Amino acid sequence: MQPPKAGTDADAHHNELSRLAALLRYEILDSAEEAAFDDFTQLASRLCDTPIALISLVDDRRQWFKSRVGLAVSETPRDISFCSHAIRSSEIFEVPDALADPRFRDNPLVTGEPGIRFYAGTLLRTPDGHNLGTLCVIDRKPRRLSADQRDALGRLGRQVMRLFEQRLLARRHAEQAALQQAILSSAATAVMTTDILGRLESLNPTAERLLGYSAAELVGRGICNTLFDPIMLEHRARLLAEEFGHPVQACFDVLTLPLERGLPEMAQWRLRHRNGSDVPVLLHVMAIRDEDERLHGYLLSAFDLAYQEQLQLRLQQIAAQVPGMLYQFHWRPRGGGEFPYISQGVQDIFGLSAGQISNDIRTIYKRVHPADLREVQRSLRQAARQLVPWQAEYRVEHPERGLRWVEARATPLPQADGTVLWNGLVTDITERKAEQLELDKQQEMNRRLLEALSEAVIACDAEGNLTVFNEKAKQWHGGDAEAISPMQWARRYHLYLADGVTPMPTEQIPLLRALAGEHIADLEMAIVCNGAPRYVICNANPLYGTGGQLMGAVTVLYDITERKRIERLQREFISTVSHELRTPLTSITGALALISANVLGQVPEPLRELLEIAHQNSQRLSALIDDLLDMDKLHAGKMRFDMRQQALAPLLRSALRANYSYAERRGVEFRLEHCDPVLVEVDAMRLQQVLSNLLSNAAKFSPAGEHIDVRADRRDACVRVSVRDHGPGIADSFRERVFQKFAQADSSDCRQQGGTGLGLAISKELIERMGGHIGFHSEPGQGACFWFELPCQEAPVNGVAST
Amino acid sequence: MNSLRRILHVEDVPSIQVITRIALEKLGGFEVRTCSSAQQALDEAADFAPDLILLDVMLPQMDGVELLRALGERLDLTQVPVVFLTGQTQLDNLEQLQEQGLRAVIKKPFDPLQLARQLRDIWDAAHG
Repeated sequence: MQPPKAGTDADAHHNELSRLAALLRYEILDSAEEAAFDDFTQLASRLCDTPIALISLVDDRRQWFKSRVGLAVSETPRDISFCSHAIRSSEIFEVPDALADPRFRDNPLVTGEPGIRFYAGTLLRTPDGHNLGTLCVIDRKPRRLSADQRDALGRLGRQVMRLFEQRLLARRHAEQAALQQAILSSAATAVMTTDILGRLESLNPTAERLLGYSAAELVGRGICNTLFDPIMLEHRARLLAEEFGHPVQACFDVLTLPLERGLPEMAQWRLRHRNGSDVPVLLHVMAIRDEDERLHGYLLSAFDLAYQEQLQLRLQQIAAQVPGMLYQFHWRPRGGGEFPYISQGVQDIFGLSAGQISNDIRTIYKRVHPADLREVQRSLRQAARQLVPWQAEYRVEHPERGLRWVEARATPLPQADGTVLWNGLVTDITERKAEQLELDKQQEMNRRLLEALSEAVIACDAEGNLTVFNEKAKQWHGGDAEAISPMQWARRYHLYLADGVTPMPTEQIPLLRALAGEHIADLEMAIVCNGAPRYVICNANPLYGTGGQLMGAVTVLYDITERKRIERLQREFISTVSHELRTPLTSITGALALISANVLGQVPEPLRELLEIAHQNSQRLSALIDDLLDMDKLHAGKMRFDMRQQALAPLLRSALRANYSYAERRGVEFRLEHCDPVLVEVDAMRLQQVLSNLLSNAAKFSPAGEHIDVRADRRDACVRVSVRDHGPGIADSFRERVFQKFAQADSSDCRQQGGTGLGLAISKELIERMGGHIGFHSEPGQGACFWFELPCQEAPVNGVAST
Repeated sequence: MNSLRRILHVEDVPSIQVITRIALEKLGGFEVRTCSSAQQALDEAADFAPDLILLDVMLPQMDGVELLRALGERLDLTQVPVVFLTGQTQLDNLEQLQEQGLRAVIKKPFDPLQLARQLRDIWDAAHG
């Protein structure tokens, strides 16, 4: 026996490959025994009267028996198989005597078990022409099939093939069904099917879970009676009736009527759970129709909204925390629109419930103050057109809370259909508005105040732009505030130094300095605009925000032109009068001095006291006039200083000597305790004047018998000259005024102590003009120590010795 | 050794003239010649031959500064110290004045009780 020739040419090989593919497609090789196939082998065995009958399938290496009668093995190698020959034939393949056939006589199946002598096989041919194998009958003796038997075998073979086809189809169906089931079972959507009358036929596990029923409990029951709330059904029926214009029964029709009209049926429902609770769902209803468009029932898919509702609830909870009303508004270009979402705050803002307005914005418009409504609508339309965020402030007539100011803000989300979805927030700003109005009022007050001020007030922001320029500022600067940079002010605003003739350098402009953080107090300057200079005192300060950041600067100018004029007149008057007084006073004082000193003979005792009074007062008057004239000179800048470097010690000694007689009169003693050998650069006469003032003051306030200590101590580059008395000291209340003009501890001092009240003020000026400074320390009851410090140099060793 | 005896005083205000003369005559024991104007002083200076000249600065017609220069032409002011007695405390060209013979400035109002001693000190210093 020859093995079948395979693959001798490419075609044969290709055909064999597609035959094997077809065989595999039926998924039958190595499958379990199936009674349906065994029926055919039994039938074939009987019809052909053979001990053996097989359904044999030939793959690449063997023949495998799907069903067998009278044979123990389930497969045999392909190279010795009869079937591999049979499948290359086109009709029934019959071998009457294998021993007589050269192709088979050496075949081990012929020579050995099962001892085949006769073989007849009909082809199992697929509809597309592939021969998968055979239905064959085998005998152990030579023979032939009758024509009837051949015919029967052929028919049986075709039936077997049909069974193959059916089996394959059934498997495909089963797979589809399993897939469907798997999909339905795992679907998040609850799926139910009903017959055309609404009786439940099936439901998936999700539906079982959602509704709390098992499928077995529901199948066969009317879906409406079981799962729907009759009130909701009726409500829906009414709506549909309105829409369709005819009565609609509150039954299953409610779900199916829209479908009949070709409308999609999708709506929110609350289904009844087995435990009586409501299950919110989005229910979609679809008709199930066969190929012929015959209605078989309905498929209802229910999307669980509980989670959605929970989200909604969460949103509401969050929204409740938001002061005001959160909303989503679906705006339509032709007007109107609805609110898909509105938070509880709507009650606070508009005095309406969410239900009252969800579908009608006009309800809200009715609450808007009539005077504001047009603007609200206009701005909303405009924002919707431009798709920019909308913001509006308007008044609401709240039924309980009265007239409220609200602010509405919303962001647009354009929709494909030309509508706009606004997400927004409305807040009550009545309080803020009230504050704003209050603030406006205050600002108005401030403005008026600024205008009414006799001072010029000019302020700028951090960038130097003028923000305040009041009426006086305009008058003085001869124009309005212009938004010009501070660098230009010097030119534009005619600022001059205090002398009224030197233009102020830009870097000295007070507002600029203040903007740089400087505080300027009582700076004298001038504004020269159209004529004579206007002298002003300027105060300027930086302005800081509550956070400490620089916000700008302000300067306040106070007109002192008139004051300066009066001061000048006063000075001139004092100067004139003083000069005129000096000559007669010299005579009076001189005359009294001579008389009192008995120069012209002994003064009679009764006259002595009065003469003494006249003499002392004339002296005081002289001193006062001297001081006034000095002060005038200092102020007018007319006092000249003849500065020379000289030893300090002789100056001190000379001053002590000059005041010796005064000390003697008051019964006190001056003592020069110590003097470091230093050189000072001073005007000797002016220094004498200061020292005399300090010494006479000390003498004046010391009790008789005390001594007054004078010393000069070098301190680095300065020398400190101090005059210490043992008087009552300086009262706290007087400390600040010590160096002021006409300052005396109390008004009685003048008369008691015979001072002019100008001495210390002049001394301070003089010391400062000579590059030093003056001060004092004192504790009441402990005496006072007045001192001044002057720059100094060490005296040459051979210079004047101390003391 | 000479001493200060004769003083020429130039002053236009009569009351000051009187006070000064009394202060110098009674307290200093000096011989005082009082002139009411610069011209009078110039006329009488050489004749009087003072040991010291006391000048007011503010004088009508010719003031003390001019008078100092004019006197310098008539007298040897190195031997006759000149003292200004003035309410004017600030003088221009003080150094120049000193070169011309000015030895001291006494401020008005002056202490008539001290004046004689002051002038004596000045004269002593000048004749060192």
